[in-house]
Amino acid sequence: MKRRDFLDWLLGLAGTTLGAFVLYPVVRYLVPPRIPEASTRRVAAAKADELKPGSFKLFPFGSQPGILVRTANGEYRALSAVCTHLGCTVQYRAADRLIWCPCHNGVYDLEGRNVSGPPPRPLERFVVHVEGNDVVVEKAKSA
Amino acid sequence: MSGRLRAWLDERLGLEAFRHLAEKKEVPVHRHTFWYYWGGMTLFLFGVQVVTGILLLLYYRASADEAYESVRFIMTQVSFGWLIRSIHSWSANLMIGAAMVHMFSTFLMKAYRAPREVTWLSGMGLLALCLAFGFSGYLLPWNQLAFFATKVGTEITGATPVIGSFLLRFLRGGEHITGGTLTRFFGFHVAILPAIATVVLGLHLYLVQRHGMSLPPGLEASGTPRPAMKFVPNFLLRDMVGWLAALGVLALLSALFPWELGIKADPYSSAPAGIRPEWYFGWMFQTLRMLPSHILGLEGELVGILGIGLGGVIWLLAPFLDDPRGIGRRGRLLSALGVIAIVYVVGFTLIVYRRGKP
Amino acid sequence: MSPRPAAWVPLLALLASTGAAHAAPAPKNSCLDCHRTLDDRRLSAPTVSFAQDIHAVRGLGCVGCHGGNPVDPEMTAMDPDHGFKGAPTRTQIAELCASCHADAAYMKRFNPQPYIFSMAEFRTSVHCKKISEGDAKVATCTNCHGVHGILPHKDPRSPVYRRNVPATCSKCHNAEYMKGRTVPTNQYALYVSSVHGKALLEKGDLSAPACNNCHGNHGAVPPNTRDISVVCGTCHGREGELFAKSKVSQTLELEGKRGCVTCHGNHDVQVPSDAMISAGPEGVCGRCHAAGSPGAKAAAVIVPRFQALKSRLAEADSLLNVAERRGMETSAGRELLKQSEDQILNLRAVLHSFDLAPIQAVMAEGSGLADRAHREGLLALRDWRNRRIGMALSLGVILVLMAGLMLKIRRMEST
Repeated sequence: MKRRDFLDWLLGLAGTTLGAFVLYPVVRYLVPPRIPEASTRRVAAAKADELKPGSFKLFPFGSQPGILVRTANGEYRALSAVCTHLGCTVQYRAADRLIWCPCHNGVYDLEGRNVSGPPPRPLERFVVHVEGNDVVVEKAKSA
Repeated sequence: MSGRLRAWLDERLGLEAFRHLAEKKEVPVHRHTFWYYWGGMTLFLFGVQVVTGILLLLYYRASADEAYESVRFIMTQVSFGWLIRSIHSWSANLMIGAAMVHMFSTFLMKAYRAPREVTWLSGMGLLALCLAFGFSGYLLPWNQLAFFATKVGTEITGATPVIGSFLLRFLRGGEHITGGTLTRFFGFHVAILPAIATVVLGLHLYLVQRHGMSLPPGLEASGTPRPAMKFVPNFLLRDMVGWLAALGVLALLSALFPWELGIKADPYSSAPAGIRPEWYFGWMFQTLRMLPSHILGLEGELVGILGIGLGGVIWLLAPFLDDPRGIGRRGRLLSALGVIAIVYVVGFTLIVYRRGKP
Repeated sequence: MSPRPAAWVPLLALLASTGAAHAAPAPKNSCLDCHRTLDDRRLSAPTVSFAQDIHAVRGLGCVGCHGGNPVDPEMTAMDPDHGFKGAPTRTQIAELCASCHADAAYMKRFNPQPYIFSMAEFRTSVHCKKISEGDAKVATCTNCHGVHGILPHKDPRSPVYRRNVPATCSKCHNAEYMKGRTVPTNQYALYVSSVHGKALLEKGDLSAPACNNCHGNHGAVPPNTRDISVVCGTCHGREGELFAKSKVSQTLELEGKRGCVTCHGNHDVQVPSDAMISAGPEGVCGRCHAAGSPGAKAAAVIVPRFQALKSRLAEADSLLNVAERRGMETSAGRELLKQSEDQILNLRAVLHSFDLAPIQAVMAEGSGLADRAHREGLLALRDWRNRRIGMALSLGVILVLMAGLMLKIRRMEST
């Protein structure tokens, strides 16, 4: 009698444990992660008061870095931060008000146009707007 | 209390009839009983696919711009996303493997004989559906390997005579593989194929219940009453041991060999080295690869497609070609054909994998 | 200015002949017709490649430089009264070529954006100075450009095509030719082994400098101290800019040392290695900065931090590699690593400012990124370990359950 109960008890315990092992990942999976979507088209790049005028920030956008610049007069510009020459990550030089690539001295203006150095094409421009407390960057609507 | 609940449900749903059927169902016990488990195994793995597939559906995006990123999101940001995705990919392969074991074993045991011809035909339909699920699902992560494997696969389909170019445009949603192809494949994979599969699977399972389990010809002929076990609980519990083993294998594979993300598809690049279709198409791919470019004035690829097609038709018509009781010369001939087919398919699948290793 | 050679004569002939409706015969060139047949090599050699000479192609025959009468088949063609000038002397060559090539209006008739030769520039060169002193072994136009088969500099067969320039210069600038002179003669050998030489001559990279890119074309001089960082800075813009503003460049100039060359060499410049920023034998700081000096102290700050940054990066890279081999997703870590590597590139340039503040700022940025990449690697490995633990536990439960079921089946069927 005791062995029968022990086996049934063991089966019940193991079965329930397995059930938990299956349900736990499923339930956790169903709960959306903190960043609720793959940020490919739209991302909150910074908080509204995070960037001082004349400074910049690199932010992840999709699988590539983007650059968010706050110009001296407070406006935002957002561009792809991938240099069109050999793919290095660009940065903003506030003194010259230009975007610059440290690898081979490529220079772009704030509209993304390649003005000097080896880059063959302009940087992709994104659309920026402030929504509440967030600075939101979106891919530009293609024509 | 459960007795009262059962009575309430039975009055409304007629559950008693099902219980009666389940109690009656028996499975013959003999030295080939092992092969009877494989239908249920395929069904279990299909169930895993449905569950994990629905979960993936909650995060996946079916556009060329976002598909790869959404799979990356699942693999990196979603809790246990890597597990759900890897299980889905591995289980697809295990399911097709189980389906093929099930098909070959029913063939060799001649379970297709009357009155089970439609069961056989619906089973072949289910296999075709599994392959279609596999082919359509493979493209969805939108990585380089998937993109170019789909390109090659649809191109070979396009070589079919008469309907080939229509088929190619139908599959691709145009002349080339584009985001439109992805949307279309997604539609096949999550809506059209599941709907068809539900109907065909329902038919298949109904027929299995209706006709009961078949006996292999040799044992049938002896006529003496065969030992059998009850489906519930004996066979079912054994089934569950097998399913647990499958679950364990899936856990092992997902943890040790997680399915890779790959590189995002770039339609304008040249095909990466080493693309090949998934293993379950491997033997067909290898057959076509090995044929010379021209045979008797026809294009080698065309001969290959026709040959495989012809083989498939013969295989499909086995119930009608074989002796009604599966004995005698015709019976032995078809069994021999079956063995040759198994050796051919398994052998060629292995060759693709041997050659594939860099 | 010297008289313009009678260029209009062959031009008119050309125009007259092209006026015919059918394929016009080539303009009369009795010089070639006769000289071609002569046995004296010195007189027949010019005719061999003259047909592809750019001057011939543009319609300027022998008379364009030598004068004379091209339609006269007799020796009277070479009558000084008909403008025949014969072969110019070495000292006359530059002026002869300049008589057309320095005339902008004339050159524009052949090319909308012509290169206008500057006699003034040429006069600043060592070659010109030596020629006017009577030195016969020094190069003039024809030594580099050829004489009777001159090709445009963009033609790969031209001796002044960029890839051919080092060999052309080294025809004179070698130990044997320069015997008895005090100029160095190892430039070509050094150049060929340099990064510029290998890029231009072995890899065919036409953006790499040849001799003329640093020394000038027609005003060839060795650049003086202040000029050197401008010369190098023409291509290496950022480094040149930073260096020119730095204290080191001012000090070097005062001490008469040679700018970029002090650390990098000139003709034998190699790809700079990070070993130059070290305390080891290849470290360059110690060459000038004695131990205990402010410069040595700054180097003592920079060098170890730089090495630490690089080894942190290498660690992060190997962690991520291990994670990737085990099937983990490492794209976040890889992105951080790439940004950190960008900062190292940045650092190598900022070093040329020789100012501790910006150098340390870049190193801090790079370190921060490297640390984050490193952490991502550790997280990936931790996740991998957790997965295996989870897998082992699940397998354990599954095996127990399977065993239990099999026992239950056996027990059920034994009764």
